[in-house]
Amino acid sequence: MLEPILGSTSRERVLVFVYARGEGYAREIARFFATDLVQIQKQLDRLEFGGILAGRSAGRTRLYTFNPRYPFLSELTALLDKTIQFYPKDQQEALLMARRRPRRRGKPL
Amino acid sequence: MKPIREMSQAELGAFIHSHLRQLGIDVVLSGGASVAIYSKNIYVSQDLDLVNIRFAKEGAIKAAMQQIGFREEGRHFRHPESETIIEFPPGPLAVGAEPVKSVDELQLPTGTLRIISPTDCVKDRLTSYYHWGDRQALSQAILVAQHCEIDLKEVARWSTAEGKRKEYANIRGSLVGNRSP
Repeated sequence: MLEPILGSTSRERVLVFVYARGEGYAREIARFFATDLVQIQKQLDRLEFGGILAGRSAGRTRLYTFNPRYPFLSELTALLDKTIQFYPKDQQEALLMARRRPRRRGKPL
Repeated sequence: MKPIREMSQAELGAFIHSHLRQLGIDVVLSGGASVAIYSKNIYVSQDLDLVNIRFAKEGAIKAAMQQIGFREEGRHFRHPESETIIEFPPGPLAVGAEPVKSVDELQLPTGTLRIISPTDCVKDRLTSYYHWGDRQALSQAILVAQHCEIDLKEVARWSTAEGKRKEYANIRGSLVGNRSP
């Protein structure tokens, strides 16, 4: 949807995912969109270098969030918020309704 | 010209800045190295963040750096005679959601260094404290405030614009020290 502006579908996917979930890592994003991991990693790297995302290590995983220091953050998130509203309903729900509360280890459900 | 191995970090920054400027590449020092300079090196930084404010092409920066003996390693540059890592974060030059409106210039024996002002340096560090709770960044902001004249009214205004009025109220005493707020 934002590909004509961003010049990359993978970049849109990364931004939309991190916006919707609050954070994300490469494999998770690639799996969600059933797309190439390398492309997602490349975009995460570019967006981090550009100061739009901030990455931190959690174990062996590199987790990305929006960089609160990015000067156009509120404008960008407003655009992403609107973009998600135009996504198909099932994709919107999959993006926004993922469980975020903790689950005790060993609990069957 | 002083050899690179004998240059202080600020002198190295000025040397690189002046070289790039001759080639039409405009950069401004921000980040931890500006804290080091303003705190008279009480804080030590390992890298120089030279913000690429006019969005010069990466290839142009690489070629310019190679001319003065720097080698590209990933997204930063190193010189065989120096431990300092040089990075060129892309612009715009900003503190939080606001653009930096004016920059200072330091004249050094190796050239001129354009650097964010002490007040913007404090704001830059406070951004990390406000948004990530980074207490090291707060300590750096306090160090700069102890060593330089800071426009505290401006820091207060900016903090409010960032939605951090309460947080500023909590740390104002540390920044003010013995000065009047």
